[in-house]
Amino acid sequence: MTSRALIIQLARLGDLVQSLPVLAALATRYPSRPLDLLCPVPLAPLAGCFSLVDKVLEWNGAQWHAWADSFTGGFEPSWLHEVEQSLAALITESYGKAYVLNQHPRAILAGALLATEVQGPYLGGPLDETLSPWASYLRDVARARGSNRIHLSDAFCGLCGVLPPTTPPVLTVPSNDLPADLADVGTLTGQWVAVVVGAGDADRAIPIPVWIEWISALLSHNRPSSVVLVGSERDQSTALAIQDGLSPIVAGCLWDATGRTTLPQLAALLKRCHWVVGADTGPLHLAAAVGTPVMGFYFSRARIHETGPYGRGHWVWQADRALPATWPIQASVKLLGEPATAAQQEPGAGWSLWQSHHDEWGAIFRPVGERDSQKDSRAAVWQRLSEQSLSLQGVR
Amino acid sequence: MNFFETNISRLAQSNPMLAVALRQSGGGRLEIAPARNGIPSARANGRWIHSAYDPIKEAQAWAEGQDHQNGETIVVLGIGLLYHVEALCARLPRTATVVLVIPDLSVLADAASARVWDDSMDRVILAWGATEAITERIVSAGHPIRLVTYAPAAALHADGHRAVETALQRRVAAEAGGQLNIAVVGPIYGGSLPITGFVVRALESLGHRVRWLDHSVHATSYHQLELLKSPQHRLALQSKYAEMLSRITMAQLAEDPPDFVLALAQAPLILPMLEHLRRKRFLTAMWFVENYRHLTYWQQLAAGYDFWFVIQQEPCMTALKQAGAKIVHYLPMAADPSVHCPVELTKDEQEEYGSDVSFVGAGYANRRGIFPRLLNQEWSFKLWGNEWDGASDLISVLQRNGARIDTETCRKVFNASAVNLNLHSWAGAGFDPDADFVNPRTFELAACGAFQLTDRRSLMQDLFTAGEVASLSSPDELPGEISRWIREPERRVAMAESARRRVLAGHTYVHRMSDLLAKIGMASPDRIGSILRGARQAQALATAADGSFPAVASALRTFRPTQRVELNQLAAQIRSRGPLTTLSREDLMVLMLDEYRSETKDLV
Repeated sequence: MTSRALIIQLARLGDLVQSLPVLAALATRYPSRPLDLLCPVPLAPLAGCFSLVDKVLEWNGAQWHAWADSFTGGFEPSWLHEVEQSLAALITESYGKAYVLNQHPRAILAGALLATEVQGPYLGGPLDETLSPWASYLRDVARARGSNRIHLSDAFCGLCGVLPPTTPPVLTVPSNDLPADLADVGTLTGQWVAVVVGAGDADRAIPIPVWIEWISALLSHNRPSSVVLVGSERDQSTALAIQDGLSPIVAGCLWDATGRTTLPQLAALLKRCHWVVGADTGPLHLAAAVGTPVMGFYFSRARIHETGPYGRGHWVWQADRALPATWPIQASVKLLGEPATAAQQEPGAGWSLWQSHHDEWGAIFRPVGERDSQKDSRAAVWQRLSEQSLSLQGVR
Repeated sequence: MNFFETNISRLAQSNPMLAVALRQSGGGRLEIAPARNGIPSARANGRWIHSAYDPIKEAQAWAEGQDHQNGETIVVLGIGLLYHVEALCARLPRTATVVLVIPDLSVLADAASARVWDDSMDRVILAWGATEAITERIVSAGHPIRLVTYAPAAALHADGHRAVETALQRRVAAEAGGQLNIAVVGPIYGGSLPITGFVVRALESLGHRVRWLDHSVHATSYHQLELLKSPQHRLALQSKYAEMLSRITMAQLAEDPPDFVLALAQAPLILPMLEHLRRKRFLTAMWFVENYRHLTYWQQLAAGYDFWFVIQQEPCMTALKQAGAKIVHYLPMAADPSVHCPVELTKDEQEEYGSDVSFVGAGYANRRGIFPRLLNQEWSFKLWGNEWDGASDLISVLQRNGARIDTETCRKVFNASAVNLNLHSWAGAGFDPDADFVNPRTFELAACGAFQLTDRRSLMQDLFTAGEVASLSSPDELPGEISRWIREPERRVAMAESARRRVLAGHTYVHRMSDLLAKIGMASPDRIGSILRGARQAQALATAADGSFPAVASALRTFRPTQRVELNQLAAQIRSRGPLTTLSREDLMVLMLDEYRSETKDLV
């Protein structure tokens, strides 16, 4: 059994990036213990840039799918030999401790397979679905969708028994070689704005006409600006549709990077921009992690207090409904050029404007231009959940 | 020493009886001729069996294209000069079992005379002799069996190979103890609808878990579309409707994924859906219980199904293959003896349903033209069935004003009639000029123990003898033949009884489904074949898990030994131990596999 610890994060890009604070907090709390990370194969190149992670283990979900699909519903003991070999290739000895960040059976089972002790959403083994105090809290908050002020990144810290980092961690990306035609991004004069055109789930994607109007408004503004469209290969058709809808005059100010970068390259590209704008998506969180100011449009199921961009000085427009009828286009474009006027912004019906802050309890978002009517209960929540966790540890 | 002596002397060490037989048989079946590269090649009946340029390269290319799974016995059909057998052995692991079928010793003698065999031939089992002996030798080599055919050489012994294949399929069917999960997709309406029911019942009686995706519940809505006056609208909407039913089928399959999907003719499955099913690793089969000349939609679907079963032989089978079908088998119609059986009639029923001559069926053009000559004869004639509108000359014999006749009434008519006419439908005049397949009515009448007089069919002789079913080759013979048979009541009864025995012995839907599964099992030895052999039963799985995975073996032994166990059931067994149980590493791996399995297949 190794003395190293393993963090298990098997969800998507946004969740992986939002695990940076817990990595920082654990590294601070246990400075002499090496920390490894288990993440899905496609995210491993980015995880390789996390300086606090000693070793990245790649979870090959596609291979597990292939085993499971080999025979429709059937079972053959010989498959277990292949599974054994795959696990043996992943680790040579069990971890002493694994921190599981996802409340998904796969992540919990992975923890049980790779480590002798697991700390995560469940109090007991993989079949004991009794939730830990922090997992219970997150479930209740998800149901009530009310006054939660504990950010997901900070809740990850709570799950792992550590306090949030005192300052938001910044992801340092190596200067990756970008494709030749993207090499100038961020180096020419003017304001560079990256636009995250897509989203993992269709209902979280900002409609194409909205982007066309928003980019047109930005580029027709007096100040010189350039726009970089970012996203995965899957977002390329959206990017083309946006370009089709724009006036040909803006062509020299628009750069399409969708589907053309690796994740480390994307991080480097976002780092070069002055602003990154988009919905609650992985690239938006990646931008916040590399230290680029972010402006998010949160709607559908996205809630600023739970998954807002982590760090200081980010802006979020929060819709009061899943599918907004109007969008704060002019106000948000103006904000990019004149952030000092934020307090005078008129967000428009159905929207509120928030700014991110950070203190000893982690991330906090406060409304702009009005008093925060909601009491900040984070300290009380941390105290209550910490006491419950300690009491359970005593029992166990 | 010449090539023949070299090869036979070596063979005699392992198989002295075959060596003796080869010395006695002599050769001469193949014409040995040098290929361009100088090594021997061969011709038979004027056609090259191996390449005229480079037989070894050609054999290697063939061997590369053959599938193989560990543990399978590879049975090679086609002898030639054995280049392909040597190439196959070179590609397979040394532990693989290879059997070469030898229906004709003279070809092997030619192969022995042409060149010296390489060492790999020492490990090839040569199965020779009568069909039974060859089959026994193959089976004794071990399961599962995978047949591979070197077509240029196999063509010389097509009948012998077919006999061996049939015998092997029978063995597979007889030994089948495993339970398959089968989804049967039926039509919205039509003649294949009752057949779907018979198929479902037959599969269930064979012990399989069958789910009937019954689209007849949509018939009323579908028929409403037929009322649309605009042909454009009607066809477009019917097409959309079929597509929607196809999607419904996909959703149903996704909820309970079967081992394979059996569709009956007219099942609403469109090609894109079938292709999607293939991508998702579903095996599909179609039993096309239609005349392929009349209903031609098979042309659009041929490539979509993994297996086609048809009621006609050539040229139907070749046409399907040319349209893209990969595997096509002949599977004739049948009867369900629980539905089609003799019935005791009361005097009143005999009065109502009885006649000297009867016909039950729809008013196709050929029948409309033939039946008037049966009127005003010395014997009585009753005509039953629908779609006789406009046949004014037949009104005097048409029963129930041409109402549709249900199965129960059919049985009574069959049993109450001295001579049941069974004229296959045909849109022209006279008898069907392409008279090949045998219709379901033939089997149903026979199963009812009823005497029948049919139009002559080319495929009849393999199914019934002239002593079981009477037939005639021209409508002109009909009145005379009827008179003759009416005068011979004892012979009629004897023939009807023989025909019924024949159906019970070999022509029920149970027989057909058993053959169908055996054919699919042979073609898919690692999937359907393994399930049929019982390899997925708890006892077999536990034995396989013993040693390496004791915890899994122990979990498997909590099931009934013959119960088929799937991954989700094993995972459920592990979960049932309760939340406080300590899980082994094997348990965790099984649970993880099941987590990935449980994702709903992205079918819809």
